[in-house]
Amino acid sequence: MTATIGHASVVIAFLLALWGMIAPIIGSRTGRERFFATTRAAILGQFLLVTLASSSLIYALVTTDFSIKYVAFNTTRATPIYYRVTGLWGALEGSLLLWEWILIIFSGLVAWIYKDRHRELMPWVLMILSTVSAFFLAVIAFASNPFEGVFPVPLDGRGLNPLLEDANMITHPPLLYTGFVGLTVPYAFAMAALIIGKLDEAWIVTTRRWTITAWFFLTMGNLVGAWWSYHVLGWGGYWAWDPVENAAFMPWLPATAFLHSVQVQERRGMLKVWNLSLIIIAFSLTIFGTFLTRSGIISSIHAFSSGPVGTLFLSFLAFILISSFGLLAYRADKLKGRPELDSMVSRESAFLLNNVVLVSALFTIFLGTIFPLISEAVAGVQVSVGAPYFNSVTVPLFLLLVFLMGVGPMIAWRKASWDNLKRNFLWPAVAALTIALFLFIWWIRDFLPLLGFTLSAFVVFSILFDTALAVRARCRIEGEWIGSALVTLARRNQRRYGGLVVHLGIVLIVLGIAGSMSYSIERQATLNVGETLAVGQYKIRFEGLRGSQQPTHYRVQGAFRVFNNGDESGVFSPTLKFFPTQQSPIGRAVFRSTFTEDLYLILSGFSELQQNRATLKVLVRPLVAWIWLGGLVIALGTLVAIWPFKQSAVSE
Amino acid sequence: MKSRSRRYIIGGLIVLAALSYLIYTGMQDAVVYFVTPSELKAQTGTSDRFLRLGGMVVQGSLQKDLKKLTYRFQITDGAQSIPVHFQGIPPDLFAEGKGAVVEGKLDSVGIFQATTIMAKHSEEYSPPAKDHPASRSFVPSKETQRP
Repeated sequence: MTATIGHASVVIAFLLALWGMIAPIIGSRTGRERFFATTRAAILGQFLLVTLASSSLIYALVTTDFSIKYVAFNTTRATPIYYRVTGLWGALEGSLLLWEWILIIFSGLVAWIYKDRHRELMPWVLMILSTVSAFFLAVIAFASNPFEGVFPVPLDGRGLNPLLEDANMITHPPLLYTGFVGLTVPYAFAMAALIIGKLDEAWIVTTRRWTITAWFFLTMGNLVGAWWSYHVLGWGGYWAWDPVENAAFMPWLPATAFLHSVQVQERRGMLKVWNLSLIIIAFSLTIFGTFLTRSGIISSIHAFSSGPVGTLFLSFLAFILISSFGLLAYRADKLKGRPELDSMVSRESAFLLNNVVLVSALFTIFLGTIFPLISEAVAGVQVSVGAPYFNSVTVPLFLLLVFLMGVGPMIAWRKASWDNLKRNFLWPAVAALTIALFLFIWWIRDFLPLLGFTLSAFVVFSILFDTALAVRARCRIEGEWIGSALVTLARRNQRRYGGLVVHLGIVLIVLGIAGSMSYSIERQATLNVGETLAVGQYKIRFEGLRGSQQPTHYRVQGAFRVFNNGDESGVFSPTLKFFPTQQSPIGRAVFRSTFTEDLYLILSGFSELQQNRATLKVLVRPLVAWIWLGGLVIALGTLVAIWPFKQSAVSE
Repeated sequence: MKSRSRRYIIGGLIVLAALSYLIYTGMQDAVVYFVTPSELKAQTGTSDRFLRLGGMVVQGSLQKDLKKLTYRFQITDGAQSIPVHFQGIPPDLFAEGKGAVVEGKLDSVGIFQATTIMAKHSEEYSPPAKDHPASRSFVPSKETQRP
């Protein structure tokens, strides 16, 4: 029954989506406004139906209705209720439904918010959103049906992969999907602007908040994924340049480039074609990512099921690229750029360089990700491209980006004078170089980390210096005290100050990555009870093993007493869990995190008979905590940038 | 106008050259070829390249020293087998008679010095064939991945 309701809702929603695609065309041909109104109705109808379908699946998961295959595969009777709900995105079919659900929520919001605005643009925006929705609904209804039945009905389900039963896995996929889907909105506005041929800045200004929001979710989705990898997967790393990680990261690059380059178009009317291309590429990459992960064409840690879904996504991707760039070419005459760069030393050129670097990074990551495919297709040679490629290629590019973060927001538009440069950058540069000198004398002799820390310091100083100047000016002129001057500044120009806070967050992440990439220590050893392993300033003594039966698994815990510089800092208990449904045990690392470094213990094996020996892996990773702190700062900055202050809406 | 567009072209070329250089040098030590024991045996001379060697761990060939964390075993594709040395912690699924892919270099005496072991993720194993690339059905273990 639940399955029938769910599947029927999806099929009807698909028909409504088709109507949403056709109605604007009929409306514009016949000139009847009524058809435009039906497009909106079609979107709202899809919203209700997809919500019904998703609720049905959640209901089936919660009530463990094992007559539905998806439920039987992703829950058991023992699964706690919250993991039953999150089973919605535990596998492919449900994930697609969640994606479509978020998409149609966004589309509904767009239809509702802009009900009486953008009369020309809106029907086409809704048409594009309906097209994307129609594609997802078709896949869900006909190729990857989450409501498929199973007979005979099993007594108990197989359950979620235990690795996914984790609080971060509850948030990681929805965050990422929200980011992906969020990019659909600016894409839809861009395409609508191309269709009606009104290519001023309206579509950019309208979608500004949507783009920032999508970017934010994309950033958070990737960071939570890294966090999960670090805290749950138990290998001591947060990023492996795995194809699936790359798939999630790649849309972030053109989205970031887009956020910056639209400012150049708003301000100077330049880069029109470029901005349209960026948003097309960013949106296409969200579809490409799903194709890559679901088609099984590339080996990956993230073993997903494969099937016809990959081919469908590839076809849709081709359709998007051809139609979008075709439309762009068709409107080429209306996209003649206005003024050219006045000077190479200006904010425009800093932003342009930022874009070149981001797109270069995208290209290199894309190439590295698909190189095994190219190699096999062209030369018939099986190869793999490892993390060293991605690191050696992207590190110089990202360092250049860090430098630009210190320059771009402060340098003058059009043409920076020598005075402007001196006023904005002399002191920050001096301060950063002083820090570099200190670091060089006392700590860091390696070039890349030293450069990373110096550039980060430069960004922080240039942001603080610029803000301090602005605050001082307000204090002098308006007689305000420092705190209220800062608040007024941020409210008057929230995008700027929000952006600067986000930059500070990025710097924290850069520091964390630079520190942990360059100065990690790794040791592994097999210890008898009572033996001690020394790692850096830590001494780790093995004190024994303990096994116990848990509700869902058998647990083996090691007890390791840790001494930091001779002081005892407690007993660490890394764990191996044996699930009856899994072939191999699942490790649970333990770690102690401080702002200087993380100590990370992994139990990788033990002697089963005497239980007096354990194989331990120990990692000391400096500054990792700064990455997560950076994520929080980015969240704060995004809030500053998009918070709907009443007065600033007027003053902008 | 003319000189301006020329400036963009020159800028673009510089960017392109820098990027190509980065990609080329990056690929040099990061592209790892996949070989079978027979292919490796057929190679003459030693090479300094990193390789991935895939096959089945020969039944009864595994000698491990848990104290030093060293593993010695043979990898076979049915026709040829290659001795492998590994120091570290292999993935949980690594066992005799199961499929494995090891990453490393062949040393001068013909022993494959592995830095990484990847075990096969699913139960069924089919020997590597051209139309069924073994490298795809293997899942690298994150624990043993190079930093």
